[in-house]
Amino acid sequence: MTATKESYLQSMLHGELTWVVGEQYVQTDDADKLGHSIDYYWVPEVWHDRGKELTPPDFVVHPGSAKEVAEVLRIANNYKIPVVPWGGGSGSQGGALPIHGGIILDMKRMNRVLSVDTVSLTATVEVGINTQHMEWELEKRGFSSMHLPASIACATLGGFIAHRGTGVLSTKYGKMEDMIMSLEVVTPTGEIINTLPVPRHASGPDLTQLFLGSEGTLGVVTKATIKIHPIPECRKFHAFLFPTMHAAMAAGAKIMTSRLRPCVIRLYDEPETAHLIKRVLGIDREGAYLVFGFDGQEEMVDLEMKQACALCREQNPEDLGTEMGQTWWDNRYKFFYPPYMFHMPQAFGTLDTVATFANIEKVYWAMKNVVTENFPQARFIGHFSHWYEWGCMLYARFIIDEPPTDPREAIALYNKIWDMAIRAAIREGGVINEHHGVGLKLGRMMKDLYGPAFKVLQDVKAALDPNNIMNPGKMGFPGGNR
Amino acid sequence: MHISKHLDVISACRFCFMCRHLSPVGNVTCREADTPRGRALMLDRIRMEPSRLAQPSYLESLYAAELSAACRTHCVSHYDEARLLLAARRDAVEAGLAPQAVKELAEELLQVKFKIEGKGEVLYYLDPYAAKQPEILKSFRAIAGDCAILSGGDTGKALLTLGFADEAENVAAKFRDAVKSSGCKMLVTSCPASYHALTNDFPLEGVKVKHSSEFLKEKGLSSGKPGKAYYLDSDYLKNYCGNLTAPRELLATAGYELKPFGTNREESYACGEGAVVYDRLNPQIAEKLSARIRELVDDAKSDVLVTASPYTRHVLKLHQPDLNVVSLEEAILKAKG
Ligand SMILES: Cc1cc2nc3c(=O)[nH]c(=O)nc-3n(C[C@H](O)[C@H](O)[C@H](O)COP(=O)(O)OP(=O)(O)OC[C@H]3O[C@@H](n4cnc5c(N)ncnc54)[C@H](O)[C@@H]3O)c2cc1C
Ligand code: SF4
Repeated sequence: MTATKESYLQSMLHGELTWVVGEQYVQTDDADKLGHSIDYYWVPEVWHDRGKELTPPDFVVHPGSAKEVAEVLRIANNYKIPVVPWGGGSGSQGGALPIHGGIILDMKRMNRVLSVDTVSLTATVEVGINTQHMEWELEKRGFSSMHLPASIACATLGGFIAHRGTGVLSTKYGKMEDMIMSLEVVTPTGEIINTLPVPRHASGPDLTQLFLGSEGTLGVVTKATIKIHPIPECRKFHAFLFPTMHAAMAAGAKIMTSRLRPCVIRLYDEPETAHLIKRVLGIDREGAYLVFGFDGQEEMVDLEMKQACALCREQNPEDLGTEMGQTWWDNRYKFFYPPYMFHMPQAFGTLDTVATFANIEKVYWAMKNVVTENFPQARFIGHFSHWYEWGCMLYARFIIDEPPTDPREAIALYNKIWDMAIRAAIREGGVINEHHGVGLKLGRMMKDLYGPAFKVLQDVKAALDPNNIMNPGKMGFPGGNR
Repeated sequence: MHISKHLDVISACRFCFMCRHLSPVGNVTCREADTPRGRALMLDRIRMEPSRLAQPSYLESLYAAELSAACRTHCVSHYDEARLLLAARRDAVEAGLAPQAVKELAEELLQVKFKIEGKGEVLYYLDPYAAKQPEILKSFRAIAGDCAILSGGDTGKALLTLGFADEAENVAAKFRDAVKSSGCKMLVTSCPASYHALTNDFPLEGVKVKHSSEFLKEKGLSSGKPGKAYYLDSDYLKNYCGNLTAPRELLATAGYELKPFGTNREESYACGEGAVVYDRLNPQIAEKLSARIRELVDDAKSDVLVTASPYTRHVLKLHQPDLNVVSLEEAILKAKG
């Protein structure tokens, strides 16, 4: 059952929830519910844009501690009411949408840096903290989380944990799953548990990794111990313009397989170089723009930089120098502000995936061909953002400047592009997502991706959440009973 | 509707999360409705369906905004959410929908009785918040010498931020008359909101308007060794008046070792100064905003916090009485010894 319709049950529940968290931390007003009905997913945005009513939560609850979270979950189990954790609402997959009404558990009140261990270089943090606030606080103490995503100011640490998110320096400092030491989690049935204190062990399967990427379907993360880093002595950049994306990819792969340790590599395909790099950075050239950076002690940075540049020069690119690399770094967030970011009435989606170096170009072409051949109204651009020893991540985008005005038609077209493009990626060795998660957007493809292995995840979900209260209908798990 | 002049802001902000970390009120209430995105979403709904302006919770959120304009300063394209909110408040007032508490406050703000006391070449405008805190004027006089004092109400800025544009204009006209009757050619005020009003919204013809920091800086005071201080930026001086550097320069000239307050220079530390009479409408949120300052203080016992805003000083003194908060004028007087 849900409590969306006004009823006496709603008043009963309101009383129980305020008993737990206090009157001022349970919201039921239209203004706040509206803000919690739309995240960064294009589908609710277009729905709103075309004047349609969104699905609001019944309650927005702001817990102040793991104990309060546990109490709220017990109430929700009692009445079998959906609970959807909400961080900053900046997720692009509809993960935080209250599609069945119920309780939004807005975590932003749990926002303290609890302790910093300067011996081991770790910090223990309440995960409702805005990641920019967390970074500022750590920097004041002389450290950095090195988690610098474009949405650093938009999102919470809990949201990044829930989606296995990533920042611009991931190539050296890792994704969220590499940054976490341990977690405190409230399970769907209201037990407060801690995962092991260290991420490397041989003491059974890794529970921390089970909750990383679980998108609020397996419980609520309340606290995390993360790795922190000294502020590096220097960080330097260099950019090249390659005649083709293929040549640039070869150079990027060589840097990684030579086991140099750049903190970032980013490669833009020719259309994105022509479009975004020109618009945001003012570099108006044909080709594929590749930028990389190293950080740490200056002598080592200079040495690695020299070697990486030498590897690039083997492909005869145009050398754009350090300045054009630094300009990219200085403007790295600018891409995401209006009006630089794609916006209504455009339809757009980030088809991000990841594959090995052997497969990544095949994945790129499979996606691109599917989009451009089947949807002539769509443009396809892409860049490769996060690089590993074995492969890299493709951040591809499709953009339709004039989608149908009827929101149902627009959404149908949008979903068809996703269905075809992601399945093409899977066929070539890609996965359905690299760092934005699954959410509502891609849940239907989880079975395709995992095959029979998906049953393992379904069984875990059923065992941990017998009443299916936690974020139902997301990540391919069953919806609620509306 | 006045909001229709700001459709560019509505369409930019309604789906944008990039400055949510700088929503002072959103950061302490945790409500999505108290962020630029949340408010733009509401106003977008109102744009589509004007009758929604009557929704009590929408109105409440509009008046819960602190108008710090930190988002505009941060925003790469400087979309002006503060101006959009002022337009929305004006729409609410003109539609007769302003909440009762807002109407009552506006009624009170209309009752101005401007008067001039004392003589001097300079006219010092004693705004209502400075009037509540005699230390500010006392310190100013001790540094600057005798001056004529204009008091008796707000310039009209408070009414303007509440959405009462016509009434604000009427009050501003009375203010102008009072200034004229003084015969002074220079007006100095400690209040950044009034400074902004008199240099932007209701300019004074033939009268030079200065913030007290500019005025005192020009006096070329000698420096002492007053120790370290943390300067809390004023929303008006930083985000509305092009980042006026005079307060910091003045403190540095006076010999203070200026320490960075909090964790960053982007957040608003002014406790709702942008909305001029914020504490009157939203005392509980004002208290939470002051608690945020307390949270960020390095050492609550010994740190000296200097503010250029009588409003901010008032709110901090009221809710965090053990913090060592002083006005710019007091800090300079202390440095003079
Ligand atoms: C402009 C912009 C740029 C972006 N750039 C990046 C980027 O560089 N890298 C990147 O990784 N992502 C990026 N994103 C996507 C987004 O910021 C991330 O997905 C982020 O992880 C979402 O965090 P949030 O706090 O906003 O979570 P929400 O959107 O509120 O929630 C996301 C999911 O996490 C769950 N959740 C939230 N908190 C908890 C918790 N405490 N316990 C359990 N589940 C929880 C929710 O139920 C939901 O399923 C970007 C988004 C925007 C708007
Ligand atoms: S002011 Fe700028 S950064 Fe803030 S919500 Fe609007 S467009 Fe985004």
